[in-house]
Amino acid sequence: MTRLLVLVLAFAVGGPLAAQRGSSRLAGRVPAAALPAIDSMIAAAVAEGLPTEPLVQKALEGSAKGIPTDRLVNGVRRGLLQLRQARILVGRAVPGQPQPEGHVAAVAAALARGLPPSIVERLLTAAPNEAPAPVLHAAADLVAHRFDADAATDLLVEAHNKGLRGVRLLDVAAAADHELQRGGRTPSDALARVRAMLPDVPAPAVTRRGPTGS
Amino acid sequence: MNDGLADVEVIARVLGGDGEAFGILIRRYEPGLLRFATRMLGNSDAAEDAVAESLVRAYRHLAQCRDPARLRSWLYRITGNRCRSHLARRHVNDIPLSEAPTPALAAASDSWVELERGEQVALVERALAALPAEKREAFVLKHVEGMSYEEMAAVTGARIPTLKMRVHRAREALLVALEALV
Amino acid sequence: MSDDPRLIAAIELLKTPPPVSVAERVMEEIRRLPHTERPTRRTPWLTWPRGVALALAAGLAAILLLPSGNNSLTPGAAEGIAQFVGHFPGARSVEVVGSFNNWSRGMLHLRDDNHDGIWHGDAVLPAGQHEYMFVVDGDRWVTDPLAGRFVQDGFGAGQENSLLIVRPAAAQP
Repeated sequence: MTRLLVLVLAFAVGGPLAAQRGSSRLAGRVPAAALPAIDSMIAAAVAEGLPTEPLVQKALEGSAKGIPTDRLVNGVRRGLLQLRQARILVGRAVPGQPQPEGHVAAVAAALARGLPPSIVERLLTAAPNEAPAPVLHAAADLVAHRFDADAATDLLVEAHNKGLRGVRLLDVAAAADHELQRGGRTPSDALARVRAMLPDVPAPAVTRRGPTGS
Repeated sequence: MNDGLADVEVIARVLGGDGEAFGILIRRYEPGLLRFATRMLGNSDAAEDAVAESLVRAYRHLAQCRDPARLRSWLYRITGNRCRSHLARRHVNDIPLSEAPTPALAAASDSWVELERGEQVALVERALAALPAEKREAFVLKHVEGMSYEEMAAVTGARIPTLKMRVHRAREALLVALEALV
Repeated sequence: MSDDPRLIAAIELLKTPPPVSVAERVMEEIRRLPHTERPTRRTPWLTWPRGVALALAAGLAAILLLPSGNNSLTPGAAEGIAQFVGHFPGARSVEVVGSFNNWSRGMLHLRDDNHDGIWHGDAVLPAGQHEYMFVVDGDRWVTDPLAGRFVQDGFGAGQENSLLIVRPAAAQP
């Protein structure tokens, strides 16, 4: 009960901080010299219908790290460009429909992880009305572990077609990496073994080694 | 509701929790925004949609209006972007003109002054719709909405020399179009 | 260019505003917005001296985020538990700074109670993606090598953030 009370108090304190947006959160944290340019980019994002939280977070991050003003501004600008590119990709996947800010932010995050736009577009098209973050992260995980991007995408699309959704797609990527780590297998072999398991891909065991969540 | 409040005071009320106060800003700015969007889109239904979407978005992000003294620029900027999004979703050639039936091209003997007002409006709208979107926007902001080039730069994100050129070319093109139609 | 009378007349015609209003439609829509999507200015407590406000938040967060021996953190349905571990022998302090605490310092300190150089701590975080780094001894920013996922921070010096994806408690195996 005490811990619950602490939780409630902590979120009551943190809630308003989280609920503040844009300019008011940056004042006092971002160097004054960077504020006009960053404010302008946030205003542009608002006007263009893009999510602003990724830009606010990037400004706070750079300020916390003590990044020099010009590189701080460039970092936020890079984020704005990724959001614009993300919105184009989402628009292509669901032409003529509204583009949820959450979907645009998730696609921008995937692009930041180095996922090729063509792969992003394939995955968005395969599941146009679902939150894209899990499948995009799963694809980015596989690409980061040196699996062929197209082959990895094929596996994820197949997993989706067999009913796997959300974090279960992350399990598909984790299973492929686990198969590869076993040794004696090529990336193609590892993907084939996971394909054969679908849809019964095991969820990863929870351990205390390293950060856990997923 | 007291409509004598400055924008910055109304914004403070809204951010303080009085959401109904946003109605003051709507009534203050919607005539200009609707006029702007109608001239951009050539369709009053689409213009209403674009302006309504823009005002809701402005309300949600009101805390991010960095300079409340420049609220008008901010609202026009959001609306301009909504209009561009609407235009991108359809071809310019499909834009219908006003609800009035499109008049037949004036006979060679007709002069501008002999046309009914409705016919004049339709001709001007047709000429305006024929302009590329960027030039149309610049012309409308400058001559219809009466903005300074500084404010237009804040609304469009374009540089002032670029805007001056767009306005100049829009005037030339509009004159040619009007001469051809009448 | 001199002002052609037809151009002047055209401009005057264009200035007539349409005889419609979207006021009622817009007001109805914003009345339907959930509370979280309504604009707010800072709440009064945030106008306290900044140090006081942050100290209070940090204190509460520290109570929340200290590792508990019986692992009794109870995330909500849309939250999950994140466990952080780092090997920093000889360090005096290790904290986690990231998107989940708005890149604020002093919010999530790890502990090394038996002084074996292994620093750890748990946190309840919203489900979803979070970027973070460790800050060692107050000024050394270190990418968590055990994160498994990394992303360039985009500030041009090649530094990487660690990336954590927190599963909702309801989806935990």
